Amino acid sequence: MSKNFQLERETSSLSSFPNSKSFFSKLKSWLLPYAFLSPTLVVVTLFFFIPLVMVFILSFTNLDMTNFGILKWWQPANWTLDNYVKIFTNRFFPRILNNTLMYVSMTLIFFNVGMALVIALITTNINRRVGFAFRLIWLMCRLTPVVVYIMMWKALAGPAPMGVLNKHILGPLGIGGGEFLLNTNPWVFVILANGFIGASFGMIIFSSAIEAIPKDYMIASKVDGASTWQTIRYITIPMIKWPLLFVTTYQTLSLLTSFEQILLLTNGGPGLYETEVWSLTAYHRAFSSYFGNTQWGYGSAWAVILVIIGIIMAIIYLRVFKFNELIQEPKIDQL
Amino acid sequence: MKTSKSLLSIILIVILVMSFTAMALAQDLDIIPIKVRCRAKPPMENWRGLNFLVAEKDLNADLEAMGDPRRVKVEVIQDNLDWGDYITEFVLGYGAGESPDIWLTGHEYIGTQAEAGRIIALDGIIEEFPIYNLVFDTLWDCTKYKGKIWGVPQDAEARPLYWNKTLLKKLGWSDGEIAALPGKIEKGEFTLYDMLETAKQAVDKGVVEPGNGFWTRPKNGPDFTPFYYAFGGETIDSATGKLVFDKTAGLKYYGFFYDAAQKYGSMGCLGLDWSSAWHPGVTSKVLFWVGGTWQWAEWAEKFLKDLGGEAYMWENFGFGLIPAAEKGGKPNSLTHPLAYLVSSQCKYPDLAVALIAKVTNYGPNTRHAITSTHLGILKGQTEYKFYKQSRLLSEALYMLDYTTFLPNNPYWGTYSTITYEALAACVSGDFTPEKAVDFVVEGLNRELGDKIIIK
Repeated sequence: MSKNFQLERETSSLSSFPNSKSFFSKLKSWLLPYAFLSPTLVVVTLFFFIPLVMVFILSFTNLDMTNFGILKWWQPANWTLDNYVKIFTNRFFPRILNNTLMYVSMTLIFFNVGMALVIALITTNINRRVGFAFRLIWLMCRLTPVVVYIMMWKALAGPAPMGVLNKHILGPLGIGGGEFLLNTNPWVFVILANGFIGASFGMIIFSSAIEAIPKDYMIASKVDGASTWQTIRYITIPMIKWPLLFVTTYQTLSLLTSFEQILLLTNGGPGLYETEVWSLTAYHRAFSSYFGNTQWGYGSAWAVILVIIGIIMAIIYLRVFKFNELIQEPKIDQL
Repeated sequence: MKTSKSLLSIILIVILVMSFTAMALAQDLDIIPIKVRCRAKPPMENWRGLNFLVAEKDLNADLEAMGDPRRVKVEVIQDNLDWGDYITEFVLGYGAGESPDIWLTGHEYIGTQAEAGRIIALDGIIEEFPIYNLVFDTLWDCTKYKGKIWGVPQDAEARPLYWNKTLLKKLGWSDGEIAALPGKIEKGEFTLYDMLETAKQAVDKGVVEPGNGFWTRPKNGPDFTPFYYAFGGETIDSATGKLVFDKTAGLKYYGFFYDAAQKYGSMGCLGLDWSSAWHPGVTSKVLFWVGGTWQWAEWAEKFLKDLGGEAYMWENFGFGLIPAAEKGGKPNSLTHPLAYLVSSQCKYPDLAVALIAKVTNYGPNTRHAITSTHLGILKGQTEYKFYKQSRLLSEALYMLDYTTFLPNNPYWGTYSTITYEALAACVSGDFTPEKAVDFVVEGLNRELGDKIIIK
């Protein structure tokens, strides 16, 4: 009887609680979440949304070095589709698109997701400290400043007798003539240099996801006689589907827009547009030219198309990985 | 005691009066900061900017002597930024209202900057400094745009064809034949295709590796234009000031580079990194290459110092004009003078021009010419005691008689990018010469519209 009374009293006090709130406290509780969000909103608006809108507008103008400060680029009268026509009629457009697709897919499949998953699986199935140390070492390439990192790759690929690979591996084995390997095999180095950094991101995400899988599943599978491959295929991979989606999507978008390693390593060469990817073209058009004829409008158009490609890729990934199902509340919680 | 107190008071009063006088005098002086921005390869080209620090004292002494309360305070910013980034920096800096007062750049940028109103015409100011009369008239022509002078020439150079004497000897050339080569080129007896034939022989006999018979610079730049001129090409229409592309000359020009790469074992140079591959390449394993006189100092200082520097180079390298395209034709070279421009944001252009006048003199310009192996810009400079001591400058001087220039046109950058892309495609084998010309015509029409004349 006394217990019921106490419960009734607590229930009645809870139900009367909202009524006791003043208007200002209601306003405060309504505004509080927005106050917490506001720094992010300001930063995103200032440094992402407004530049994006500006780049979008610039892509319809012919703003360049010759008319900077003169052209009123914000006036619709100066907007045309010329830049987009120029891109799609550019004779090197297919090559740049092909380079981009190859660079993104190869780096993603073999390194950013593939190798990351392999490293994560191995390092979570060996001695915990050794695995941790290995992951830490692998992270070094991400922690190294890009310029230093690329200089190391250039030293590796250098011509004989300075190049490390030529001097210590290829030379003694009698392979090649000691050429500058960045000239003879530029794509190998572009993908390796990017892939080694890229793999470290997925490695961390996947490792933590694998570590979070309850051990009971693994033990149960072993009791049932599952092989290592079967455990990975039927337990680990399905259980880390969400991190897989995240890493694949994030790294695709990241690779599509990343160009700094390629810029420093080959600058799109050695031949004509040989390793030139989409984002590097946008950079070259907008910011880099021997005679300084930088074309900001034209470069913006390349960048806008890249943003559209990125959005389409993200939507495709979300569909393929059934994002809606992934974010649904677990069925056990719905009961 | 009283006397010492009075003495102390007098000393204090004197100090006070002197301090106030000094402060008053100091307040009367108007310190004008002048920012000078130069692109210079250290250490060879450091005098481009450092000369202004010497000139600052000189100009301030002049100002003091004539009772002008203004004093300049020079700030020099110089580094070896890529040209494209260097130009972008100026344009964006100007947009932010922070452009340098004096800006050193290639003369071909004058058209763009003048059109945009970022630099001022110097007519009417330079006449007050007769020292400018010493500058060669042809160099003034480079800084003219739409009939006005927009810059003061800073240096000049020649872009010779270099060759490796040791490799020519390996090929069977005698010392006499090698010594006679510059003369044969000058007379039009040794043509561009003769050079390619020699390069091919060197490749066939294993004297050089395939691709190393003949090299140009590894990236877009001015060095390709004299070859286009050699085949009869023109870049600017003197009547309208518009850029010109000549299809007939273009076909021969692209044919030459296509042949060089595909048939004559040459042009294995495009895309190479300057310091790690190109410079080490030309200074050791390439038979013929096109470079600049300023690179002579760079090779001696940076790449061949251990082997003996300039002495080694005189022993092993030779140079001459860029050969004619046909027997009996005229060889050429290209001069790309840099010029000091004055920003329209400069508040005291008279002081900026006065400072430039101080560095446009035998002493300062020769310092730069000798250390960087650039050619002098002043009449009578070859007679100047210190200038004469540079053997390279003396021996390369005749090239100015054959020199050509880039056009001063705002759209030269676009023109150069398109024509270079076609050249690179010929070298890689992606384009035939005919396809290259089509690509250039299509690209120039698309990008420049009525600003280009296709002949």
